Amino acid sequence: MTAAPRRERRDWTQVLLVLPNTVWLLLFMVGALFFLFLMSLRGYEPGGRGMLDTWELSNYWAFISDPFYLKILGRSLLMALWVTIGCLILGFPLAYALSRLRGMKRALLYFAVLVPLLTSAVIRTFGWMILLSNKGFVNQTLMSIGLIDSPIPMMYRMTGIIIALIQVLLPFMVLALDAALLNIDRQIYDAARNLGAGRVRIFFRVTLPLALPGIVSGSILVFTLAISAFVTPALVGGPRIPVMATLIYQQGIALLNWPLGAAISLVMLVVLVVILSALMSIASRAMRRAS
Amino acid sequence: MILFLVNAIIVLFLAAPILVVMATAFTTTGYPVFPPEGFTLKWFARVFETGEFTDAAQLSALLAICATAIACTLGTLTALGLSRWKGRGQSALSAFVLSPILFPTIVLGLALLVFYSRIGLQGSFLGLVIGHSIITTPFVVRLVMASLSEFDPAVEEAARNLGAGWWRTFFQVTLPLIRPGVLAGGVFAFILSFDELVVTLFLAAPGMSTLPMRIFTFVQYSSEPTISAIATMLIVVWALIGVPLYARFLSIRHK
Repeated sequence: MTAAPRRERRDWTQVLLVLPNTVWLLLFMVGALFFLFLMSLRGYEPGGRGMLDTWELSNYWAFISDPFYLKILGRSLLMALWVTIGCLILGFPLAYALSRLRGMKRALLYFAVLVPLLTSAVIRTFGWMILLSNKGFVNQTLMSIGLIDSPIPMMYRMTGIIIALIQVLLPFMVLALDAALLNIDRQIYDAARNLGAGRVRIFFRVTLPLALPGIVSGSILVFTLAISAFVTPALVGGPRIPVMATLIYQQGIALLNWPLGAAISLVMLVVLVVILSALMSIASRAMRRAS
Repeated sequence: MILFLVNAIIVLFLAAPILVVMATAFTTTGYPVFPPEGFTLKWFARVFETGEFTDAAQLSALLAICATAIACTLGTLTALGLSRWKGRGQSALSAFVLSPILFPTIVLGLALLVFYSRIGLQGSFLGLVIGHSIITTPFVVRLVMASLSEFDPAVEEAARNLGAGWWRTFFQVTLPLIRPGVLAGGVFAFILSFDELVVTLFLAAPGMSTLPMRIFTFVQYSSEPTISAIATMLIVVWALIGVPLYARFLSIRHK
């Protein structure tokens, strides 16, 4: 009887409630991105007149035709891939234990994951700089127990960046995996065991497929944060190991070449979108097969 | 048993840089070494000796408070709207409002810098607040949504049927029920904004320096354990504020 007018009123309420945030994002995220796109089409003359009033594709061409830039893109992709794999390998056992624990033990393990998350990347990277230097704790320990004769250089190397970045991003992966693993009905394990499946078989045939949504969402998050990471590559890698983010920063802030910085940013976004959509289509096919 | 051992190593890996930073804050050497040598509190005193860190911390706190206020308002409204959304478009809309989580901050920083230079917000405090609010709002949306998932809309209906108006229903029924989510989202937004570096580097005016900017410059160009001391204080304060709140919030969710 009164259902119809009430529903209509509620429809307006829901729109009004989400409107401020939507407008805010359209203006300052989508709008800013549009201006960044326009900027990437502007001509630029280094040293001389700076930004020109012309519209051209020269900035994209400058990126695509220069092996130096392409190498940086390749390096960033490889870095993000290794960091994602590392986070999956280290995150899975931790999230698995977390999802099976209850009460105080779960709270304690959660604490161990949350405190790093609440500590800024700058501070954690600083800790790794102390640990990973040639005279740092890691190398000194490895040398004193005789595993290596001379220090393994990790500072100003990709190895160091990847180690530090795995630690910086691991909490995101653990939280995503934990959320997926918590959703698994425990009775499925009992059923599998009653049907005679061994531990390994249960892990590969039951746990892993059911955790797939968490694996996908965690990997997407970690890969995206890794390929665009600035702080850790800037501090551990320094100018010797440029990645996409430090390159964008250098062009935008140090060299004030906004058009090229904008073009590099958009190349990175496009590459990211292509990779993530490929990953998601593979994952959705795998999930369909599993179910 | 094997799982326990493996996890002990992983937890150690997660904790390592944090423990190292905290330990080096007490070293008597003039640069951070691990394990630390001797014991001193002079680096903590050094933090407060010069005004550069305390001034920067004040600016960061002010910025974080403004950004959190916007994030909590926009985020809570959005979560309420999304949770009672009827009809199509809910998943697309929620993907859109959560998208800043995945949007690379390095690109957002440059995009806002270019945009602000056009509309006259370059180097302004307001510009920084807006940038930080974009980054933090999705986390408030997420956490309020999570606390709303336990929420029975019939309660609101009951209040309204008993004669309570929209405002009264919101402040006396809805808000108390979603408070854990708003509080957790607000604290997370504050910490995130206080620690934000990348967008800030692009948008801060010359001479304007937040605490993360100071720390970043200090880590690059200096080697005094002062930085370990200030980092230790931040780690302890964030853990004390953030963890209990999260623990309560999560215990509500995973009971």
